[in-house]
Amino acid sequence: MDNNKFVEVKNLRKVYDNGHEAIKNVSFSVKKGDLVCLLGPSGCGKTTILNILAGLLNPTSGEILFDGKSVVEVASKDRQIGYVFQNYALYPHMNVLQNVMFPLTVGKNKKSKAQAREIAQKYMKLTQIMDIADQKPGNLSGGQQQRVAIARALVQEPKILLMDEPLSNLDARLRLKIREEIRSLVKSVGITTLFVTHDQEEALSIGDKIILFNDGVIQQDDLGENFYLEPNNYFVANFVGNPVINNFKITKSANELRTKYFTLDLAKLNQQRFKRQLVDGDYILSVRPENIIPEEGGVFHTKVADVELIGRERILKFNYDQVQGRSLVSLESSIKRGDEIDLKIRLDRAFIFTTDGERVY
Amino acid sequence: MKRIRLGVLLSYIILFIFAIVTVFPFIYMILGGLMSFQETTSIPPTLFPHHFEWSNYAKVFARAPFARYFFNTILTASITTIISLFNSLLGAFAMVNLNFKGKKIVQLVLLSLLMVPGEAIIFTNYNTIAHMGLLNTYIGLVLPFLTSIFYMYYLQSYFGSISTTIYKAAMIDGASDWDYIWKILVPMSKGGLFTVGLLSFISGWNSFLWPLLVTNEDTMRLLNNGLSSFASDAGSETQLQLAAATLTVLPILVLYLIFRKQIIKGVVRNDLKG
Repeated sequence: MDNNKFVEVKNLRKVYDNGHEAIKNVSFSVKKGDLVCLLGPSGCGKTTILNILAGLLNPTSGEILFDGKSVVEVASKDRQIGYVFQNYALYPHMNVLQNVMFPLTVGKNKKSKAQAREIAQKYMKLTQIMDIADQKPGNLSGGQQQRVAIARALVQEPKILLMDEPLSNLDARLRLKIREEIRSLVKSVGITTLFVTHDQEEALSIGDKIILFNDGVIQQDDLGENFYLEPNNYFVANFVGNPVINNFKITKSANELRTKYFTLDLAKLNQQRFKRQLVDGDYILSVRPENIIPEEGGVFHTKVADVELIGRERILKFNYDQVQGRSLVSLESSIKRGDEIDLKIRLDRAFIFTTDGERVY
Repeated sequence: MKRIRLGVLLSYIILFIFAIVTVFPFIYMILGGLMSFQETTSIPPTLFPHHFEWSNYAKVFARAPFARYFFNTILTASITTIISLFNSLLGAFAMVNLNFKGKKIVQLVLLSLLMVPGEAIIFTNYNTIAHMGLLNTYIGLVLPFLTSIFYMYYLQSYFGSISTTIYKAAMIDGASDWDYIWKILVPMSKGGLFTVGLLSFISGWNSFLWPLLVTNEDTMRLLNNGLSSFASDAGSETQLQLAAATLTVLPILVLYLIFRKQIIKGVVRNDLKG
């Protein structure tokens, strides 16, 4: 038994009846007790993967192992999983206690009424919903429904908890609160959790590890900070990070990288960061807003088109190549709209991608 | 202001006329059941009997085995209701929640069968029942009505409005399809099931042509056929026919008055906010 591969997915593929290939040869593994986020834009296949793990969908090909045992042929109810649905899927005709008890009143896990009630109450205490035990789901707020759904998922004491965008129906403030609660809850229970979300901030804050999907393919399977510091490719660099990264079209010729607006000396780049030798041609230079900052004598002379306040920082906006660039400065900065400034690029934190999106620097 | 009030008045008058047109036959049926034979056939017609002839009801029960008709009708209507409800429940569940090979074809065939009017197949049904030796039996009376594609479609649309994640959640919670149907689907669809049950019971109660075809013994006849007991070559005993008709309609009317709210609820969906 390998605790580093408590959940293991190998060469998973899913083609829907209409011919759409939602999952293309996906492999990953999850460590026991970890909370892993499956992140990606809508339609990237993350929910499909969760449904396949739950046994609600059959994979076209590939292997799924829970705790070393294949579960591809195992029915949902025998996979020892809990599932929290995006819309919670509470049974509207049952009250909260009955909803939480339901998994213990049917199938293999059937317990006596008294026992079921006792176990249900244990998890209702944990999720703090004892006071609404007699209410019907229709009378509950989104946050309360969410807790009921989690309690119902945990009551079978599953080995793996699957959560499909559980926070997307909540308002912004509640979302922050509940996501902290979810993290501390699953950590205190010690359950291995897969959490699907399209919100990078949510994934970064809650996940021990993030797996980023796009177009049915894993783009990066890594610790949160690495999506930021060492993105695998152009898609990752652009998907993760807020405000979004700045991309400049550049052309390499001889020892220079040239854009319409400035020219960089190749020798000034950190040679150890090159993944391979650059041949002459077109590339994309990507710089995060905090790494392109106003400084006297910087390479890029431009005019501030707008200034936006975002809490502790300000975003300076400037125009180039028909797109808007962003530079992140501190709240105290006195630069105003219309000011002419020089921007410096921190080259050891910039990235260079081929036009196909492959990272070369 | 004046014009609006005039409009309201006009609509009340129209409503009143239609109400009279709709309700009058019922009222006349009830009053006619209490008239003498002369009163029901006099010209100009009598609207209100001079003297309530309660004895008409006694004659109805004496002249024909009306109690037997009642029993037969309640029995066959109840059996068809319970079994067709059960069958359409399972069929609709399968169509909504299960994936099986040929589901689309089955659906298409059923839908096209829905287009065939009952009268078109009544004689083939009669032949089948006759060949099976089921004439003059309760089984023969109910057999063709034990499944209903229409009720199945009605329930299908009702079940379709329940989020599919509810079914998925039940599967993950460890419920079997059977558990899901009885513990979740049925309690969540009470209104729809009730509507189907009531429709089925009413149509069973009102059935006329089929029992007329497959029964010829008085003891197997249903209420509606019983009404013809009071018509002979010598003429009809209209006052008895009206009294018997009142008896026939009464139970359904009572049912409707009791379950009025649920019948209307059956059309309105109660779903959970997202």
